[in-house]
Order: sequence, then C-alpha cells, then structure tokens
Amino acid sequence: MNKEQFLKKLNESDIRSVARLITLIENEDEIAESILKKVWKNTGNSYIIGVTGPPGAGKSTIVDSLAKHLAESGKSVGILAVDPTSPFSGGAVLGDRLRMSGAQSSGIFIRSVASRGHLGGLAATTRLLINAVELLGNDFTIVETVGAGQGDVEIVQISDTTIVVEVPGLGDEVQAQKAGILEIGDILVVNKSDRPGSDRLAKELQMMLSLGEEKEWKTPIVSTTATSGEGIELLWNEISNHQKYLGKQKFEAKRLEKFKYELENQISQKLFTKKIIEIGDSEITNVSTKILNREIDPFSAVDNIIKE
Amino acid sequence: MVSKGKTRVLIAKPGLDGHDRGAKVIARALRDSGMEVIYTGLRQTPEDIVEAAIQEDVHFIGLSILSGAHTHIFPRVIDLLKDRGAEDIKIIAGGIIPDEEIPKWNDMGIEAIFGPGSSTKDIIKYINGKNIE
Repeated sequence: MNKEQFLKKLNESDIRSVARLITLIENEDEIAESILKKVWKNTGNSYIIGVTGPPGAGKSTIVDSLAKHLAESGKSVGILAVDPTSPFSGGAVLGDRLRMSGAQSSGIFIRSVASRGHLGGLAATTRLLINAVELLGNDFTIVETVGAGQGDVEIVQISDTTIVVEVPGLGDEVQAQKAGILEIGDILVVNKSDRPGSDRLAKELQMMLSLGEEKEWKTPIVSTTATSGEGIELLWNEISNHQKYLGKQKFEAKRLEKFKYELENQISQKLFTKKIIEIGDSEITNVSTKILNREIDPFSAVDNIIKE
Repeated sequence: MVSKGKTRVLIAKPGLDGHDRGAKVIARALRDSGMEVIYTGLRQTPEDIVEAAIQEDVHFIGLSILSGAHTHIFPRVIDLLKDRGAEDIKIIAGGIIPDEEIPKWNDMGIEAIFGPGSSTKDIIKYINGKNIE
C-alpha cells in the first residue's frame, strides 16, 4: 500500500490501518513520523484516562468494566494496555486482553503494548500511540500502565485524569504516607473491596489525604469490586466530576504543560543523539579511560566535550 | 537499546476445552525468544480472535485446540481473515489434529501444525524462518 492510500484509510478510521500505524510508531520507523506529520491536526480529541497501580491490583479488570460502562452510555473508547518487556530476551507476554473480554465484545479497540525497555510504567512512544488511536475518532482513550512500583509516575504526564488502583493487604499505613505513586492520583480506587482490610485501607488513604495541604480538587476514594462491576458507576461519576472540575481552562493549561515537557524531551533527545554521533565511539572510550585512570574527573570531562 | 520490528504473535485458545497449559508453554517460549506474544486466554470465538489479531497487528495467529472443534474453527478463522482483507496474517496451530488431516488444513491456509511432542525450538525456528514485514 502506498502512502496516499494509507493516509486515506487512516482518515476513514480503518482499524487495520490504525493498528499498522501503531506498529510503525512502536518500531520507531521513519514512515511513522511522516504519517503523523500529516494526521497531526486530526489528533488530540480524546479525553485521556490513565490507570495505574501495583501488579495484580485489578487494573485491566477496572479498565474493562469502565470501558464497557462508557460504551453502554454511547461513548466511544480506545484502550492502550502496557505490559513489561523482558530485559533479557526483549520479548513479552502481553496478557491484559485476557481480562478485557467485556470491552472486546463491545467492539472496543484494544491494543497491547510492550514497554520495550522503557522505565516509568509506559512505553516510550505512548503519547504518539494515543494520537494514533485518536484517528478512530474515540471520545475517550484509556491507558493502562505496567504493574507499577512506587516511583512509576510517568502516567501523569500523559493523562487528563489519573486513577491509582490500590488493593488491601500490601502494607501498613506508613506505606500510604510515602511519596510517589499515591500522590499522582486524581482519583484513588480501593479495588477488591470484598476482601478483608479494604475498609481499613480506604480509611488510611483518607487519613493520608487529610494530612496533606488543602487542595482545590479533593481526591476522592472509590471502593470497587471490578470483577462484579461494583463501584464502577461511582468511579465514572468521579471521572466526570474531575473532568468538570478541570473545565476548559485547567484542561488546556494542563495539556500545555505536557507539550512543553514533551517538546523539551524531544529536543534533548535529538540533540543528545546528534552530539553522541558527533563525538564518536572512540572519543567516548578515550575519555572514559581517562576518567577510569583518574587522569580527569567526570565533571570536567563533560564540560570539555560540550564546549568543543 | 532500540528494538525494531518485533515479531508479534497472538496465542488464542478457541473452543470449550479448558486445557491451556500448552498454549501457556508456547507463549512463554516465544517470549523467551524475543517475540511479543498477545495471550487472549480461553474460550475465544473465531470472531474475537480475528478482531484481536487485526487490532494487535500480529504476524501470526497461534490456535491451540484439543477438543476436535478445529474442524469448525479453522475454516471460520480463515474465512474471517479473508473477509477483513487480512490473509497476510499467518495461522499456525497446535493441539490434537489427526495426522491424516494435516495436508488438507495446510492447503486451506493453516501454515503449520505442531502436534503433541513438538519442540518449542521447532516452532520458534519455523516462525523466525518466515520473513515478516
């Protein structure tokens, strides 16, 4: 298929073509960049919901119930579900789809994404993947992260509303006071609320929030049992509330912040690659050897190279 | 490290039998050989499988069937792929498929069939031997 045909299919929201574009973006293929340049104007029209939390917390099941709920109320949804790539083989088993049979049978577009060595809970190309999904014309894009650790907070750079899913039984109340992932939730979910300890976890999270500074947006805590769908409607209400709270002004300001961050990232990456090629492998080895032998310190070495 | 052009394989378990050990072993072996495996789990309909294969933009669909339902499922998957203009997605299969049927299925478009006792190495070798786009 030539480029013109491909673009035409993309503009018709052809599923296969969108899926193919996602592959090209994932592979960091040059064609992807040239296509994205052409379709850029048609992207950015979905509201992005990020879902994160530890492995096994029920993220996929929540995403499934939420997407189904949205589809039933006449909204169109696309899903990107990220799972980790093996640092040893480079392969991955992507199993989020396994829990998304409801969304699947509602005809919702689901794409499993491997993190491909990127840390932080997402794949490096996630933002662009969202743009590709948006060519389907969906109202919402739900992004599910890799089972996240305490410091995997990158999702907040992607989503308009961030949901952090917690489950009872993972630690004591001091865990709730720690910095990191719990801070980024616009909404906190206590899933598996049919399990013992869930009320207590909800209280501890409430306590954690009340100890902090008073904020304009009061982070709600929603208890769910995703497997039965309990609490999903409440969760959706809170997402709507957050969307309303943001309004046009805060929403746009938030997105602008993200594009600034992204632009800086892109610039630094391109400059980085350019500079590294310019310096050349032998010079890098050369200077590194000097650092190793204590002939020069690493700080002066970097200054010298950048000045050149 | 930049990882370009990963081989993507959908492993599906159509039909009603619940024996997914084989499918899981294959999924793991393919992962360990560097492929991206989308595992969709039990009781998938041919419609589910083809839709998932298209959304996931896979190169291969691996079907594991032990119940004899392949006589119904294979032709259905082949037809649905054709309907969607996605015949380039290759189908491989495993499970209990009678030896004497294999040539017939090969002709119909099941590229390769790996019965009981097949080595995961052979499956990986087979997939890697096919030139993916």
